[in-house]
Amino acid sequence: MKKIVEAEKEAQRILEQTNHAIAKMKNDLPNRITSMREQILKEATEQRRQIVLEAEKAGAKEAKQIASELSIQLQALSQIPEARRKRAVEAVVQLLLS
Amino acid sequence: MSSSLEKLVEQIISESKIKADEIRKRGQSEANAAIEAARTEAIREADSIIRDSKSDVEAARNRIASQERQKARIAYLAEKNKVVQHVLKHVQARLLELVENEPSYRPFLLKAIARGVEAIPSEDVKVALCERDLNRFKSGKLLDDALAAAQTRKKVTVVDQPIETAGGAVVTSEDGKTRVDCTLEGKLKLMEPQILTQISQILFAS
Repeated sequence: MKKIVEAEKEAQRILEQTNHAIAKMKNDLPNRITSMREQILKEATEQRRQIVLEAEKAGAKEAKQIASELSIQLQALSQIPEARRKRAVEAVVQLLLS
Repeated sequence: MSSSLEKLVEQIISESKIKADEIRKRGQSEANAAIEAARTEAIREADSIIRDSKSDVEAARNRIASQERQKARIAYLAEKNKVVQHVLKHVQARLLELVENEPSYRPFLLKAIARGVEAIPSEDVKVALCERDLNRFKSGKLLDDALAAAQTRKKVTVVDQPIETAGGAVVTSEDGKTRVDCTLEGKLKLMEPQILTQISQILFAS
């Protein structure tokens, strides 16, 4: 009879220990969730930073390309032959005198 | 007897372990579900951050590129305008040369007066010239030639008071209510869009 009582006590101890472990786990759960959530959002923020950085690089490249195209266009304007300018002057003079 | 007692004790302990195991599994499962739900929510938020940042950045990039293109376009047009203005300056210089050359200039002046006289719906008209032309043509038969060119019998008088112009004439009705500007400056202003088109066609046509 004594052995049965001891066994009942041991069984009770096992259950209590398990319940205690589960309670502790549930108690720690909010911290675990917060920590995990922070990690995920931190990674997202880092990814956002990378996206901004890449966009800035692409924007700078695009601006450089636009400036380069403008430079070519301006150079073309400065290289209009004198003969063509004179032809324009004469055409306007003729237009005015007509 | 001893053996069955042993068995009973083992059974009590074993059942307790099984129950504990069930409790552990249920607790673990609940915790996993809560973690998974929180992870899904956090990932959804993270995706939203990344998606928003992508569209924000893309919009900002497009805006910047558009501004750069606009700036470049303005700079290009300003430079183009400089080239056109340069040509117009040469046109003015060329016109000043031309008005000094009487044989080349006279036909233009005749046409200008004739056009002005035709345009005024009045029988008596006045013609105003610049001082140079007044001195140059007062003794000639400029008006007769102009009237012949206009094929009109209107009475035309030249105003003694000179006007400020490089060349051409201003024709007015006798009462001064109708005025036709046939000066070079007037024509330049009137024909500006046509002139700019002509210059652009010659200079910038590829």
